Amino acid sequence: MKDHPSETELERLLDRTLRALPLRRAPPTLESRVLGELERRAAQPWWRRSFSHWPLFARLGFVVTAAALAGLALLGGSWPGTALQSLQVAGPASTWLQPAAAITGAAGSVAASLVNSIPQTWIDLGLGAAVVLYATLFGLGAAAYRMLYLQPQSGREFQ
Amino acid sequence: MTSEPSHSAEFTTFMRAYQDMVFSTAARLTGSDAPAQDIAQEAFLKAYENFTQLRTSPTAGGWLKTVTTNLALNHLTRYRKRWRFFSELKAEETEEDPAGLGVDPPVPDALLDHLSSEQRCAVVDEALRRLPEHQRVVLVLYHFEEFSYQQIAARLHVSLAKVKTDIRRARAALLPMLMSAGVAP
Repeated sequence: MKDHPSETELERLLDRTLRALPLRRAPPTLESRVLGELERRAAQPWWRRSFSHWPLFARLGFVVTAAALAGLALLGGSWPGTALQSLQVAGPASTWLQPAAAITGAAGSVAASLVNSIPQTWIDLGLGAAVVLYATLFGLGAAAYRMLYLQPQSGREFQ
Repeated sequence: MTSEPSHSAEFTTFMRAYQDMVFSTAARLTGSDAPAQDIAQEAFLKAYENFTQLRTSPTAGGWLKTVTTNLALNHLTRYRKRWRFFSELKAEETEEDPAGLGVDPPVPDALLDHLSSEQRCAVVDEALRRLPEHQRVVLVLYHFEEFSYQQIAARLHVSLAKVKTDIRRARAALLPMLMSAGVAP
């Protein structure tokens, strides 16, 4: 036994001791837990799983429907109200749909008339300003994150 | 997600081959068995999602170890943030040289040699549990997971100097614990 060992000796001793250790035995319940969870997930319908596990037709359908809805919402503000009204015509009369259709149609009409009354130049300028602001704030946020959180010298993470 | 019965049988064999390694990695990093089981379960669920590639891959063990290490470190990060929110002052106070540096303990030529492998395992795991988290993590990453100092610093987003200090303190704290347990009866 040495009285004043170097750090290297201590490192070697611990390295030898720790690497020679056997693995810890996993609890016997681990396997059944994992298999049980796999069975539970397999029993779930596809629409309750994450998007990446949906069938291809469902993913395509979702994307197409979402894009169509977004396009319709942008092009014609009164579309939801119109759609509700047409549903009433096509199907059996349901009284609760009428006020909903009226409110949605009115809101859509107001939004559409507001959008139509704004000059195109203003809309373009507004969109441009939004993009510039987004990029500026994104850059500022990234810089702040790097300086305040990921600063290696501060060692905030594992202090 | 793949779910053929033959696939499941093969996956069970795969899991039995690696479950001790996965659990050991998680338990030594977290210093606790309960979260280690959750982490091991999550690692195997990820493995199942990628089993088509892993079943024939010679690096499946390395893949699993990397996933387990990342999951364990993420768990520790989440837990620490939650804990520090309520006890920031106490954490600051207890960070002052917990290993009691300044005195070099004498180093024996061997440790725990007279114990069985299971006893050695139990002694080391108990000693690891008693280390502060930031010391235990760097020690486990260096000595068990074979990370370099630079890799540890990059993974934990801390400076190289801090890694070296923490690991030196961890060794200094671990040695007397192992020596006291390793004294032959």
